[in-house]
Amino acid sequence: MTPMIDVVFLLIIFFLVTSHLAKQESQVQLALPVAISGEEDPALSSRRVTINVNESGELTIANRPVLAAELGERLASAREELGDDMEVRIRSSRLTPYGDVQPIMLACTKQGIWNVTYAVYRQEQ
Amino acid sequence: MVRIPAGRSESAHDFDSTMTPMIDVVFLLLIFFVWTAGTQIVEYLLPGQLSIEAGNQAAQLAEPVPEQDFDKVVIRLRWDEGLPDWSINNQPLRSIVDVDNTLQALAQINADAPIVIHPDDEVPIGFVVELFDKSRLAGFSKVSFAINQDSK
Repeated sequence: MTPMIDVVFLLIIFFLVTSHLAKQESQVQLALPVAISGEEDPALSSRRVTINVNESGELTIANRPVLAAELGERLASAREELGDDMEVRIRSSRLTPYGDVQPIMLACTKQGIWNVTYAVYRQEQ
Repeated sequence: MVRIPAGRSESAHDFDSTMTPMIDVVFLLLIFFVWTAGTQIVEYLLPGQLSIEAGNQAAQLAEPVPEQDFDKVVIRLRWDEGLPDWSINNQPLRSIVDVDNTLQALAQINADAPIVIHPDDEVPIGFVVELFDKSRLAGFSKVSFAINQDSK
């Protein structure tokens, strides 16, 4: 029995670690804005593109840097792949200037992507 | 003649050697769960459905909105020497508390009115999200952002 139990537990650890790594994209350390009306995040969606914006305004998608000028192209190809109801999640530092987040919204509207969400930390009332 | 020490039988010894690796792994799993649960701060989301109007408003908002236009509520957020400066439909407000009170008063009149948040490019997004949050809490459901078409 022991080897089988060992293997089963190793498999469990493997799946947990890989699912943990899959979430790493959205776990880039950022001081997110705070909101009271923040809603619970549903399960990890495969139709979601997460765009991280750090304090200097640098954009990353899937841990790779992206220029603002390339956003339209990237979102267009993502929309082709994921469908019209795809979600764009904006994760930005609370100190990022609005002007650095604006190109993301502009690219979304130009590509016809209306499902845009903002990652926040919940502030209790 | 060698005597086998009495006390622990061979089957008990087998049981120990069978259980030990399993207990090791279970403890490893426990450590893993405690570690992952302890280091992650739970994130929430603010659904910011963009609308076609929001996209078109970008061009319109280059010009100031008429003061008498009460069909939509425009919250202007300027960045003045490192401090935020709020106004609603061109009416200056002193603090975020005044903004909150005004929004709640407006929501009681017409909560269906579209809200347009128009921040300066320099405003940290934390202040913009704060306005978005206050608008939603006041009861407004149509909240959009003004976007400059010529943003970088």
